[in-house]
Amino acid sequence: MTLTVIGGGPGGPKALEYPEISESPRFTCALGGAYGATLATFGAVPILHSGAGCGMANAHGMTYASGLNSGGAQGTTTTPCSGLIEEHVVFGGEDKLRRLIGSTIKLMKGDLYVVISGCVPALIGDDVDSVVAEFKGQAPVIHVRTSGFAGNSYLGYNMYLDAVIDGLLEPPKAVEKRLVNILGIVPNQHVFWKGELRAIKALLEKIGVRANTLFSDFGSIGTLKRIPEASLNLVLNPFCGLAAARKLEGRFGTPFLDLNFAPVGPKDTGAFLRAVGRRLKVPARKVEAVIKEEERDLYRHMEYLAEMFMISMPHAFTAFVGDSRTIIGLLRFGANELGINPVLAVVTDDPPEEVRGTISSLLTENLEGAIRPRVVYDYDAHRIRQALKEETLQVILASSLEKYIAKSENEAFHMSISYPVYDRLVVDRHYLGFRGGISLLEDMSLDFAGPL
Amino acid sequence: MTEKTGNKSDPGPINLEDITCPTREQRANGITAFNGKASELVERSKAGGLRNCERDFQQNAGCILNFYLTVRVATIRDAVMIIHAPVGCSAPAALYREVYRRLYSAMNGPQDFDFHWLTTNIGEKDVIYGAADKLRFAIEEAGRRHSPEAIFILTSCASGIIGEDVEGVVGELKGKVKATLVPIHCEGIRSRVVQTGYDAFWHGILKYLVREPRKRQKDLVNVASMLSYTWQDKIEITRLLAKLGLRPNFIPEFATVEGFRSLSEAALTAPVCPTYTDYLSRGLEQEHGVPYFLYPSPIGIANTDEWLRTIGRMLGKEKEAEGAIREEKARWVPKMDQIRAGFEEVKKANGGDFRVMGSLGQGRLVTQTPFFHELGVSTPVALCQDFDDLLLEDVENLLERVGDFDIVVNTFQAAEVAHTARKYDPDMILSCPFQGSAYKREKGMTRIHALRGDGRKWSAQAGYAGAVACGSFLLQATRNRAFQNVMLEKTEDPYKDWWYRQPDPYFFHNKAAGGGS
Repeated sequence: MTLTVIGGGPGGPKALEYPEISESPRFTCALGGAYGATLATFGAVPILHSGAGCGMANAHGMTYASGLNSGGAQGTTTTPCSGLIEEHVVFGGEDKLRRLIGSTIKLMKGDLYVVISGCVPALIGDDVDSVVAEFKGQAPVIHVRTSGFAGNSYLGYNMYLDAVIDGLLEPPKAVEKRLVNILGIVPNQHVFWKGELRAIKALLEKIGVRANTLFSDFGSIGTLKRIPEASLNLVLNPFCGLAAARKLEGRFGTPFLDLNFAPVGPKDTGAFLRAVGRRLKVPARKVEAVIKEEERDLYRHMEYLAEMFMISMPHAFTAFVGDSRTIIGLLRFGANELGINPVLAVVTDDPPEEVRGTISSLLTENLEGAIRPRVVYDYDAHRIRQALKEETLQVILASSLEKYIAKSENEAFHMSISYPVYDRLVVDRHYLGFRGGISLLEDMSLDFAGPL
Repeated sequence: MTEKTGNKSDPGPINLEDITCPTREQRANGITAFNGKASELVERSKAGGLRNCERDFQQNAGCILNFYLTVRVATIRDAVMIIHAPVGCSAPAALYREVYRRLYSAMNGPQDFDFHWLTTNIGEKDVIYGAADKLRFAIEEAGRRHSPEAIFILTSCASGIIGEDVEGVVGELKGKVKATLVPIHCEGIRSRVVQTGYDAFWHGILKYLVREPRKRQKDLVNVASMLSYTWQDKIEITRLLAKLGLRPNFIPEFATVEGFRSLSEAALTAPVCPTYTDYLSRGLEQEHGVPYFLYPSPIGIANTDEWLRTIGRMLGKEKEAEGAIREEKARWVPKMDQIRAGFEEVKKANGGDFRVMGSLGQGRLVTQTPFFHELGVSTPVALCQDFDDLLLEDVENLLERVGDFDIVVNTFQAAEVAHTARKYDPDMILSCPFQGSAYKREKGMTRIHALRGDGRKWSAQAGYAGAVACGSFLLQATRNRAFQNVMLEKTEDPYKDWWYRQPDPYFFHNKAAGGGS
C-alpha cells in the first residue's frame, strides 16, 4: 500500500512512514466488500463467520454510507452471523459455523448461501472450507475467505467474484454472441451502483448487446451461473474487477475489454458504444444511428438547462474527490462538455501502482481547455482536506466528508458523488450515459437560486 | 449520601488497578437470551439461575466496539480517537464530520467541533509481526496533526488476538506526548453483552482521565447520555436543571476532555440510562465521593418528576425541585392529557385497547414502560436487548407498578423479533433505527427513538417537553399505516413459513449447550 502524498502537512516526511494510518479512509475492509457484493446479489444470503459487530459496522459504515441505504432484505440485523467470542477463540469456531450454516439453510429463503469469514477465524485458523464442504448436496454454499486485515473493500469485491468463479461456475454449453458481463462497478463503494448497472444495461441494449450486471438483478444465482456464457467481459474500472476478468479468461477463455471507467455524457458514451460495438462486431451503421438519435434528443434538452448553468457555475474551478472510475467519468464530462476547469483530482480508492499512470493520463490528457488538474492519490481525510485548502475552488464534487469544509474552508459549492455519502439518499440516481449530465446538473442546481 | 433507589444488588468494587473492567457476564450475570414472564426472569435472576446460551441461528448484533464506541468517542471535541484495528472496524465513524456538524449548525452549538480520528489499519503483515510500531506512530501522528488534550485508543478483535501490548506502548509514550493517553479494551470477542463496551469505556475514563478534584462544583451534575438521546434532550435537561440552580456536565457526546477530567468535582451523577451510567456512577462515588442515583430516568411525566425530586433531595434543593415540578406540570400535563385523549380515540376505534411492543435496552425497559402506561396504551410484551442483575430491583418495582408482562431478551435477533411480533400481533411495534427490514414485520412499526445526530424537536424524548414530543410522535404514527402495510404486502419475508407456524421464537437456542431459556 503506497500513497503519493502531496501537501505533506505538519508531519513532514515522517508522515510517509505508515501512510495507511489515516483519518476516515474511504473504504471498509475486505469482509465488508464481500458482504456488500453478496447483499447486492439478489437471492444470495450472506453468512458472516466473524465477531458480532462486523455486519453492523458495515451496515453503518458501508451500506448506510453509500447514500443512506439499508442493506436490503438480507442486510443489517437480518444477516446471519456466528458472533464469535473468546470461547470460540479458544476452542475454535467451526462447530458454531456448522450449526449456523445448517440453521440458515433451514430458516432463510435463498438460492445461494455465501459464507464470509472475517478476522477471528482467519487468526485462529478455523478450517472453514471443510465445514462448507459438508453442505455439498444440501444447498449451494460458497466461501469467501476474507478477513478485515486482508485488505480493503475493493479487494473484498474481487474475493467475492473469485469465490463465485471457483465455487459456482462451470464451463458453458454455449457462448452467447452478444452477452457481456459488467465488472468493476462495485456495490456500495460506487454509491450510484444500482442506477449505474441499470443504465449500462439499457445503453447496451440499444445496440443489441445484452448485459449481465451480476448485481441488483432478479436472475440471482442464474445470473451468476450465466457468467461463463458471455462472449466478453467488460471492465469499467482501471483495476477493480480485472482480477476476475483475467481469471475468467484463463478458466473459460472469455476475453475482456478494459475501458477503465463508465461514460458520463454524450461524448464518452458514444465512444463507449463504439468500442463495445467494434469488439462485438455490431454493425457500425447501427451504432452510429443510435448515437445520432440519442445525441439529437439530448442536446435538444440541454438547451433547457443551459441558461441556468451559465448563470450559476460557468467555467468553475472544480475539484473531484472520489474513487478512480467515478471521477474519471465526471471530470472528463465536466472538462470536455461543460467547459468547467478541473483543478484538482483526488483518487481515493488506493489503486495499485501499476495502473496509476493510466489513471493520471485519463484525468489529465485529451481534455478540452487550458487547465490540467493536479492528481493526488490519497484516502486520508486530513491530507485531502489540506490538498483542497491549497487550491482556489468554486465547486467540489467529493464525498460527504467534504460537505462542511467545502463551504467553510473553500467557499465552494459541494455535492457528494463518492463514498461515503451520508447526506443524500441514492437509490435510482446515477450520472451515466447520454443523459447522465442532465441529472448531474439538476442535482447541482439545488443549492443555487437564480438572480431574478 | 448516595441513594441506591431500587437496587441493592452490588457488583462489588471497581478495581482501577486492572487494565479494564470485568465483562457484564462476570460482573452482573448478564444474559442475552430469555423468553418468558418478567416475574420469572426476576425470580430466576435472583436465584442465580440464568445462564447464557449458544444460538444455533444467530444474526448481526453489534459488538462492544461497535455498539457504538466508534461513533461516540469520535465526538469528544479536543481529543483524537485511534481505532487499533483493521480498516473496517472504524467504518461507522465515517459520518463524524457531516452528521454531527449538521446538528451543531442547526442547534447553534459550540463552534469547535472539528472531530478527528485515525485507524491504524492493521494489515496482514501486522498480524504476523505485531502492530505496536504503528500504534506508536499513530499516537505521535495524532499529536502532530491536532495537539489533542487526550487520545483514546480503542482495541479490536484483531489487536486482542494477536496480543498487542497497548499498555506497553502507552507507558512508553507517557510524558513524551502532550495528550493524556486512554486505552479502552473493547475487543469485540470479549463479551456477548454489548454493555461491556460502555463499562470498558468508563473504566478507561476513571483510570486515566478523571482527576483528583481541585474544587467541588456544587452546582454541577454529571449526566451521561446514551446514544439514543438527542440535542433536544440536552436542551430540556439543561433547562430543567437550571430551575434548580444546577448545570449539567454532559458526557461523552460533544464533551471536552475537561468535562471528563472534572467529573470528580460534580455534586452528583444523575442517570439518563441507568444501565449505561452504572459503572461510571459507581466508580465516581468509590474514587471521588461523588454521589449518584440510578433510577428513574427523566422519561415520561412521573419519572421526570421523580428524577427532579431525587436530585432536589440529594442536593438540598427540595423546595426548588417541588416548585419546578409544579410549574412544569401546569404547562405540560394538559398537553399530555390531549395526547392521552387522542389515544383513547384510537383505542375506541381499535376495540378498546392499543397494544405496543417496544424494543428496548434494559434501561429503557424500566423507564419507557411506565411512559407507555402514561399514554394509556398497554404493553403485553417487551423486547429487551440484554439483562443483568444491576437493575433487578427496578424491574421488580416496575412489575409492581404496571403488572406482569412477557419479555423476550435478545440483542437484535431479527428472526426472534419477527416471530414474537407475529405471535403477539401488537398494534404498534417500536423498533430501534437500523433494524433491517423491521418495517415489514408487522402492520404498525415505527421508530422508538431517534439518534444523537437528529436535532429536530419532534425527535425529543427526555423531560416534560420530550414526553409530549414523544407522545405526539407515537400518536401521529397511528394516523396512517400506508407505508408499513404496502411494504408488508409487497415485499418478501426473508424467513420460511414454517418459522411462524411453530410456536417457539427460541427454536434455535442450543438448549443442550447451555440452555438460557
